Amino acid sequence: MALFSPPISSSSLQNPNFIPKFSFSLLSTNRFSLLSVTRASSDTSPTAATAVEAPEPVEVIVKEPPQSTPAVTKEEITTAKNVAVEGEEMKTTETVIKFQDARWINGTWDLKQFEKDGKTDWDSVIVAEAKRRKWLEENPETTSNDEPVLFDTSIIPWWAWIKRYHLPEAELLNGRAAMIGFFMAYFVDSLTGVGLVDQMGNFFCKTLLFVAVAGVLFIRKNEDVDKLKNLFDETTLYDKQWQAAWKNDDDESLGSSKK
Amino acid sequence: MATTVTLKSFTGLRQSSTEQTNFVSHVPSSLSLPQRRSSLRVTASRATPKLSNRKLRVAVIGGGPAGGAAAETLAQGGIETILIERKMDNCKPCGGAIPLCMVGEFNLPLDIIDRRVTKMKMISPSNIAVDIGRTLKEHEYIGMVRREVLDAYLRERAEKSGATVINGLFLKMDHPENWDSPYTLHYTEYDGKTGATGTKKTMEVDAVIGADGANSRVAKSIDAGDYDYAIAFQERIRIPDEKMTYYEDLAEMYVGDDVSPDFYGWVFPKCDHVAVGTGTVTHKGDIKKFQLATRNRAKDKILGGKIIRVEAHPIPEHPRPRRLSKRVALVGDAAGYVTKCSGEGIYFAAKSGRMCAEAIVEGSQNGKKMIDEGDLRKYLEKWDKTYLPTYRVLDVLQKVFYRSNPAREAFVEMCADEYVQKMTFDSYLYKRVAPGSPLEDIKLAVNTIGSLVRANALRREIEKLSV
Repeated sequence: MALFSPPISSSSLQNPNFIPKFSFSLLSTNRFSLLSVTRASSDTSPTAATAVEAPEPVEVIVKEPPQSTPAVTKEEITTAKNVAVEGEEMKTTETVIKFQDARWINGTWDLKQFEKDGKTDWDSVIVAEAKRRKWLEENPETTSNDEPVLFDTSIIPWWAWIKRYHLPEAELLNGRAAMIGFFMAYFVDSLTGVGLVDQMGNFFCKTLLFVAVAGVLFIRKNEDVDKLKNLFDETTLYDKQWQAAWKNDDDESLGSSKK
Repeated sequence: MATTVTLKSFTGLRQSSTEQTNFVSHVPSSLSLPQRRSSLRVTASRATPKLSNRKLRVAVIGGGPAGGAAAETLAQGGIETILIERKMDNCKPCGGAIPLCMVGEFNLPLDIIDRRVTKMKMISPSNIAVDIGRTLKEHEYIGMVRREVLDAYLRERAEKSGATVINGLFLKMDHPENWDSPYTLHYTEYDGKTGATGTKKTMEVDAVIGADGANSRVAKSIDAGDYDYAIAFQERIRIPDEKMTYYEDLAEMYVGDDVSPDFYGWVFPKCDHVAVGTGTVTHKGDIKKFQLATRNRAKDKILGGKIIRVEAHPIPEHPRPRRLSKRVALVGDAAGYVTKCSGEGIYFAAKSGRMCAEAIVEGSQNGKKMIDEGDLRKYLEKWDKTYLPTYRVLDVLQKVFYRSNPAREAFVEMCADEYVQKMTFDSYLYKRVAPGSPLEDIKLAVNTIGSLVRANALRREIEKLSV
């Protein structure tokens, strides 16, 4: 396959002397509009390194540090809008735009660069990691033994996660539960005359309370109702497929099969 | 005695029970209701007659691991065995990984194993790479085999034990009219003299083991039903030697939406090349796209490689609705015994072939008596009892960890944990659900939930970013 024959010195991309001065986030929108990553088609033959430096805006070129071995490079940037392929047929387009960020060093986030008032600003670490993952989801990258990715989300302390994600939602859910609780208590009281304290002693009311809490917890969006139903079907499907061998041979009157 | 016999007729057989002259009457269903099959201890010896002047004849259709193992066990048990295989030198496209226990249980010679994989790398969608295998002991490994070598070896052993191996293609079978009439198999025999077309032949046998793989014809002829299946697409790539040393004893697993929406992409080392592939159940049409993505993720490591072969094969996702019918039983891929999550099939194929053959040997008392469906049913019972927990656990793992990118990230994060590695390898290599310590299990549960929560939180952040 032509794809593999030319050796790509992609490691040269990560020229250690060249660290972009601006953070990744600034460029993100610009990058998406300016560049399109095209992959080499399987039946094109690799042309020699046509070092056609497309006349990009400066930022883009800066992101791709100059190759150390120009003779065999194939890093060419093609843009959908750009037609500066001065008369040359662009056949091989190996565009490898890897994820880069000033704070992403050696496959993990350099926490020292996230300091704010002398303490690590975990929120920005979380946001940076989210941006990295988003980037990679849209532009999957090759793994490489020279630059392994080692980041582990568990270095971010548990309270940072809770503060950022759990607490706002907890507030929302507690608010809903409180509203439902108040109005249900009022409603039941007006219907039956049973006060709040007496309601708590009644079994039916306790069941209603349980249902209300479970409902608030599990059904947070409209789609959740269907999702839960599908989830239940999913969990039991595999078992049903295994039991089918036994069910077939049981008489219709024999209910569910054994096990 | 009569009750047991009549009850047996009810549980073991369907319409055929009316044709049997041996049994006195139908027991009304209400009587058999409280009886659960597990509590019945039915022995064939009382009901089935002795075969007067011949041994029991059993045909095994398909000469892969399942067929080879079944034929060997049958022949060793004193049963007249015929193994029908359509292509003796078939290089079945396959991942080719066998667990350590298979080497011991099936007495495989060590030179069958091309490579011993002792390290694995799991790579998440954001390329976080985790090495697993630190907990493996010196003698533990995952064996990589060439299917043509393994299959040929097992068939040879079956032949040495007394089975007749025929190169032929099974076409169809005629079902017997009575409960003890033989099955008539129609097949085309290739004997080299008649050229490529072969000669049509028939054969009469008492029982059939269908070991003919995912597109089993035996399954079709007994109306076994269909299963969902995954398509596994694989390219064999010969890479330069210096890159091959990295894969000397290491296999890689890539997870991500780009690589597969419900499975994983892999780079497995073979004898002198690597196999790069991926699979999917739900998006079979995009398999080429997934394959490109897998190659892209491994690009640096397989650069300069040449593709020497492209292959694809179906992988069953769950067993067929009906795995046996009267005196025909399915084993291996034909039955659908491939685990979820890892897609492992070779060991289970061979083991099910052996288990089915053992049930036949026992039920026929080493070939002296005719068997009936109840004896084959014992094989199903034993199989389900032994391996259903394993299948269930792997199904849960697949459902939880392969459903989305955050789940896969959490999965890879969990794999970094030593306890997880130990449990995973123990259960994979020895096929036993080893009881770990409860404290560690609780810690593991907490960590799993933590990883899942973090990964999903990051996904919410990602969604916020795109808005």
